[in-house]
Amino acid sequence: MKPKPKILVIDDDVDLVAVMKGTLESKSYDVIVAYNGKEGLEKAKKEKPDLILLDIMMPVMDGFNFAEQFGKEPSLSKIAVLALTSFSDSLGQPFPFQVAEYLRKPLKPKELIAKVEEHLKRKGL
Amino acid sequence: MLRLGVYVTMRWLIVLMIVFATLVSSRVFHIIFPTTPVYIICGIIAAYNLVFVGQARSLQAGEVGQVIKRAQTSGNIQIILDLLVLTALMHYAGGIENPFIFFYLAHTIAASILLPQRSAYALATLAVLIITLLVLLEFYGVVPHVNLQGFVLDNRYNDPSRVVGVLVALATLIYGCTYVITAVSGELRRRQKEMVRLKDQLLEKRAMELEQASGEIAKLEDERRRFSRFLGVVAHDLQSPLVATQSFISYILDGYAGKITDGQRDLLERGVRRIDGLLTLITDLLDIPRIETGQIAREMREITLNEVVKRSLEGLDNLAQQKELTLKVELPEHPIKINGASRRLQQVITNLVSNAINYTNEGRVLVRVAENEKDARVEVIDSGIGILPEDLPRLFNDFFRGSNVGSKGTGLGLSISKRIVEAHGGKIWAESPDPETKKGSRFSFTIPKKPMAEPQEKRE
Repeated sequence: MKPKPKILVIDDDVDLVAVMKGTLESKSYDVIVAYNGKEGLEKAKKEKPDLILLDIMMPVMDGFNFAEQFGKEPSLSKIAVLALTSFSDSLGQPFPFQVAEYLRKPLKPKELIAKVEEHLKRKGL
Repeated sequence: MLRLGVYVTMRWLIVLMIVFATLVSSRVFHIIFPTTPVYIICGIIAAYNLVFVGQARSLQAGEVGQVIKRAQTSGNIQIILDLLVLTALMHYAGGIENPFIFFYLAHTIAASILLPQRSAYALATLAVLIITLLVLLEFYGVVPHVNLQGFVLDNRYNDPSRVVGVLVALATLIYGCTYVITAVSGELRRRQKEMVRLKDQLLEKRAMELEQASGEIAKLEDERRRFSRFLGVVAHDLQSPLVATQSFISYILDGYAGKITDGQRDLLERGVRRIDGLLTLITDLLDIPRIETGQIAREMREITLNEVVKRSLEGLDNLAQQKELTLKVELPEHPIKINGASRRLQQVITNLVSNAINYTNEGRVLVRVAENEKDARVEVIDSGIGILPEDLPRLFNDFFRGSNVGSKGTGLGLSISKRIVEAHGGKIWAESPDPETKKGSRFSFTIPKKPMAEPQEKRE
C-alpha cells in the first residue's frame, strides 16, 4: 500500500487549522500543522511533506518571509506550496518563491480538497 | 583681478609713451635732460610689470576669498611702486617744471578706483607729500635740479611763488579727483557688498528652509509608514475572524458536520452573506485612508488602459449572464498608454460595471473606451433603472445609497472610485438618463494621458 500523502498546514488561526486538519484527515491525508512561518520551516525540513498550505498574513514569520527562506532550501524544492490569503492586496505582491497557486480565503472545504487533490495528482501521488 | 589686469596694460602703454616722449623731446625738440636714467626707470617699470603679469596668472587658480585678499595686497604694492617710480622719473625729467607732473593726477585717479576711500585719501596725501618733498629738496639744493634746457626759463624751480602755486594747484587737483573717484567707486562697492550680503542671506535662508522641509517630509513619511502598518494590522485582525467564521459555516453547509435541514441551510447562507457585506465594508473603509495617504502615487506605472479594462471585466460576464444582460465592450484597436495604478483602476471599472449590472434588469451594459489628445476616457452605459435627479449631485458622497435602489452595498464604492480617479488627476461623473439612448445612466471617468506632476494635489 502507498504511504499516505503528507500535508503541512501553516496558519496562525488555531480554529481554522483545526477544521482544515479534520477535513483533510477525513480524506485520509497525513496532516501536520504549524502556527507560524518559523515553525513551518522547521517542520517542512523535518517531515518533508508532499504539499504545504501556507497562510500569508502571520505573526513571527509571515508567508512571504517563509517562502523566501523556503526557496533557499534545495531539499524542499519538490514540495508544492498553495498560498492562502484573504486580502486582495497581497495578491498583487510578487512572491519570492514559486507558489503553485493562490487560494482566496474563505475557502470552502470542497474547493480545498479539490485543489489539494489536483496538485498532488500533478506530482503523481 | 580684471581691474589689476587693466593696470598692467596701462603700465605697458605708459612705458611706451615715456620712451616715445623722451625720444621726441630730446631728438626733435633738442631739450636737454639726462635720458639714460629715464630709460633705466622705464626698464624697471617693465620688469616689475612682468612680475605682476605672472602673479595675476597664478592668482586665478585659488580659493575665491584668498584670491581677493592676495589681489588686494598686490594692488597696494603696485600703487606704491608706481608712485615712487613716477617721482624718480619726475626728478630726472626736470621736476616741477615738467608738465608731465600732472601724471600724479592720473595715478591718483587710477589708484582711487581700486582703493577704499580712506586708503585713497592716504595715497593722495602720500602723493602730495612726495612731490612736495622732491620740490623742497630741489628748492634748497639738497638734490641737484635737472634743468630742462631749451624747454623752460632757467631757475623756474627757484621762484617760490611759482613753486607754491603749482604745488597748491596740484594738491587741490589730486584731492578733488580722489574725492570724485572714491565717492563714485565707494558707492558702487557698497552696492556690490550689499548685493553679496543679500545673496548670502537668501542662500542661507533657502538652505535652512530646505533642511527643515526635508526633515518634515521624513517625519511625515515615517508617520505614513507607521499608519500604513497600523492599517495592515487592523485589516488582518478585523478580517481574519470573519474569514474563519465563514470557513466554519461553509464546512457545515458542505455537510462536514453532519446533515443539515433546509431551514438551517437558509439561515447559515444568510449569515454568510451578511459576513460578506461586513468584509466588503472593512475593505472599503480601509481603502479610504490608504488612497488618501498617497498609495496610488506610489503604485503608478505606465500601463495600457485596454488591458486594465479587459482584466476588470473578468468574472463580470458571469454576473451579467445570470441576469440575462449583454455585456458589451468597445475598445480602440491601438493601445492607450496612461500613467496609473493598475489594480486601483480595475477596482473603479469593476465597481462601475457591477453597479450597472446590479441596477439593470433588462437590456445591456456597454463599456466604451475612448481618448482625445489630453485624456483617456472610460464610459459605462446601462439601460437600467437610472438615477433620480435629486440623487445625482450626492452620488459620489461617502455612504450614499440611491433612494430608489434599496440598501445594496456599503455606499462607499463610488466615493472610493472618485478618490482613485482624482488621485490620478482625472474626473468622474454620472449622467442619467444616458444622453445617447435617453434611458438608464452613464458613468464616465477620465485619466490624463501625460504623466502627472503632482497626482496627489487633487484630493478633496
